[in-house]
Amino acid sequence: MATRNRTLIFRKYRDALKSVRVPSSSSPSTSSSGGGGGGPVIELASTSFLNHNRKYTPLSTEDPGNSSKGALTVGLPPAWVDVSEEISVNVQRARTKMVELAKAHAKALMPSFGDGKEDQRMIEGLTQEITGLLRKSEKKLQRLAAAGPSEDSNIRKNVQRSLATDLQNLSMELRRKQSTYLKHLRQQKEGQDGVDLEMNLNGGRSIIDDDNLDDMVFNEHQMAKLKKSEAFTVEREREIEQVVESVNELAQIMKDLSVLVIDQGTIVDRIDYNIQNVETTIEEGLKQLQKAERTQKRGGMVMCATALVIMCFIMLVLLVLKTILF
Amino acid sequence: MVLVSAAREYVNRMLQDISGMKVLILDSQTVSIVSVVYSQSELLQKEVFLVELVDSISKSKESMSHLKAVYFLRPTLENIQHLRRQLANPRFGESHLFFSNMLKDTQIHILADSDEQEVVQQVQEYYADFVAIDPYHFTLNIPSNHMYMLPAVVDPPGLQQLCDRIVDGISAVFLALKRRPVIRYQRTSDIAKRIAQETSKLMYQQESGLFDFRRTEISPLLLIVDRRDDPVTPLLNQWTYQAMVHELVGIHDNKVDLSSTGKLPKDQQEVVLSSEQDAFFKANMYENFGDIGMSIKRMVDDFQQVAKSNQNIQTIEDMAKFVDSYPEYRKMHGNVSKHVTLVTEMSKIVEERKLMLVSEREQDLACNGGQVAAFEAVTNLLSNESVSDIDRLRLVMLYALRYEKESPVQLMQLFNKLASRSPKYKTGLVQFLLKQAGVDKRTGDLYGNRDLLNIARNMARGLKGVENVYTQHQPLLFQTMESIIKGRLRDVDYPFVGNHFQQGRPQDVVIFVVGGTTYEESRSVALQNASNSGIRFILGGSVVLNSKRFLKDLEEAQRIAKSSTNVV
Repeated sequence: MATRNRTLIFRKYRDALKSVRVPSSSSPSTSSSGGGGGGPVIELASTSFLNHNRKYTPLSTEDPGNSSKGALTVGLPPAWVDVSEEISVNVQRARTKMVELAKAHAKALMPSFGDGKEDQRMIEGLTQEITGLLRKSEKKLQRLAAAGPSEDSNIRKNVQRSLATDLQNLSMELRRKQSTYLKHLRQQKEGQDGVDLEMNLNGGRSIIDDDNLDDMVFNEHQMAKLKKSEAFTVEREREIEQVVESVNELAQIMKDLSVLVIDQGTIVDRIDYNIQNVETTIEEGLKQLQKAERTQKRGGMVMCATALVIMCFIMLVLLVLKTILF
Repeated sequence: MVLVSAAREYVNRMLQDISGMKVLILDSQTVSIVSVVYSQSELLQKEVFLVELVDSISKSKESMSHLKAVYFLRPTLENIQHLRRQLANPRFGESHLFFSNMLKDTQIHILADSDEQEVVQQVQEYYADFVAIDPYHFTLNIPSNHMYMLPAVVDPPGLQQLCDRIVDGISAVFLALKRRPVIRYQRTSDIAKRIAQETSKLMYQQESGLFDFRRTEISPLLLIVDRRDDPVTPLLNQWTYQAMVHELVGIHDNKVDLSSTGKLPKDQQEVVLSSEQDAFFKANMYENFGDIGMSIKRMVDDFQQVAKSNQNIQTIEDMAKFVDSYPEYRKMHGNVSKHVTLVTEMSKIVEERKLMLVSEREQDLACNGGQVAAFEAVTNLLSNESVSDIDRLRLVMLYALRYEKESPVQLMQLFNKLASRSPKYKTGLVQFLLKQAGVDKRTGDLYGNRDLLNIARNMARGLKGVENVYTQHQPLLFQTMESIIKGRLRDVDYPFVGNHFQQGRPQDVVIFVVGGTTYEESRSVALQNASNSGIRFILGGSVVLNSKRFLKDLEEAQRIAKSSTNVV
């Protein structure tokens, strides 16, 4: 794994050549510093700024005197870059939320003394937020698509693909988390039919509350316990339904994304295949265009010719009629 | 693992330090180098959103300053010219130049001269100048491979180019391994000698600083041999999976093009056969054809099981499970249909060309003696209608190589018969082969009939009988490897270059075959490496041969040799 860095030598040559070239190319740079700064003090600052900037020529978007040189390198990225950045920010946000969600899941599954409503709400909130983010990103992703065989559209397609892969991985992860959570919830629910420690404790506390209100201790006890557990089951049922719903939603997103994502290990995943493909599509496009042009031209000509022939006929008939009638 | 991981690591290092959106610009050679070790999705992960060829990118004028250009090129004259033009009118924000081999000072000078706008951020040499098709097998994909057969007297201009490319490739392999080898070559081959001497000059004189790794262990061995020392291996029909696919269909940079074989769905027309990405192929690439059938049947059964369990989805849990396993399922589906298509296609060809019959005879000619019986069998096959032209030609060649000196009359009879049977056969091709690779030219003991030990070994094998008639042939390379392991490679036959001699047993051996390797040899090397002899072998060649390519090279060389003698 040996490598050799030739940058220093390259720089040396380049600087040496630059100093040779100075007489011809120095005029714009001095004029720029003169134009940019009003007085001698500012000029000093601006030249140092320029020198610093020179390292990153593409970044210098303003520099009036240098415009002839700058025009080639200056250029804001196209608008779709913003969209792609938004999506990647969303993905990032979803990822941090996912970590929170994992924590919340773990907390909710721990046996606790409270009714865990707060945890539930938090989980719900987080899940919805993540799915929302994913859905939003997916919608934006559709906007990235572009038509046409130009290089730019190629890049867009590739950016789209890469983001789609990210999104898909994220949604897979989310789904996996949810399904394990769901499984644990189910297990707990089944546990409640038997004697459950948590349930007992919950019930035990409610006994004390109920004691103050009613006298029919034993029966009411049982009733309250039953009611509580019923309410609990309904609550859990609802939660499960919610989780299932978001699983379905994710499945939909997944389906949409799978069109974009590259299957690994197939020919589509080969670099050289992609290059060839681009070339052939461009060539094909050109061929189609030429063909279209030809047919169009010919179509007009044929129309013209037929019209003329028909006209000729009509004229001939008229001529004949004229000679016969008169 | 060595070669593939080294090349991957180079690509990784190129891309990881440059943040932001990138465009990777390659030339026609580095495309192969990168493609066999890296995938499109991995590139996307590294934020490489466009891959272009250096000559096609110069056609477009669109400015894309939001992208950073990463060039990975061979330091050739044309590439430098392309770069010059592109640096003078930069379309991309930054340029990072990576070269796959050593740059000359003048080249750096030219580049520095054209970089007036200072877009170049770095200039590096990353020595990934070989196509690592398998962990222990690399090739250089040289298009003008046939040049090596021409005698040095003719000295066509292409010959120096071929030599340079080979020297570049070999030195890149050793730079990637971070070692400086001792060099040996096959005595009877002029081209092997020339390459060995040029490599040695580069490593010990011109760039001795670069190759000085201050390692104290025993230096590895570089052995340069000539394809003509073993002309039999590329002429045989193959029956192990990878070799067979290459022989019957053709593998190019781990891709198989099936579009010529007829009606196939679009995604099956070109498939990837890479031992790195395909676990099934990795497990079965060295198995013989019969066992492949069994393995594939097992794979199809497994797949059916999975498919069945995916069919009955009743509960939501099933659904969730299905969605989870769906990508895996799809991958499996693609893989199964790929291998099934390949094997069906090949068995069709085997049936059509009566290859079972032909190959049995070929193996017999290559491994066992008995001239009279062989002559009769070959004559019979020549008159068999269903044997194809190329198989006839190969049979006669194999016979001629084996019984070159015995009964020239019968050999002439075979030539005549071949000429009358196959109208496409170019006269003199077999004679040309004999002139090129006849018994007087060969160093190694190809048929194992030169010294007593080998004869005895052959007889012992004959008594024991063979397991499989179709895979009984062992390439000459196998013997060479064995003698290296035992330290018995003769100095007279394989002399050292300069005064750098081997001390002790080497741990790494790179064998380079000028004129191309075969997958049969690659298999032999892989099996040898798996057997833990303490020596790691790496095989390299100018191309990967199948019989079609070998014959084409032969024809090409004959044509050039003929025209040049006519001129003289």
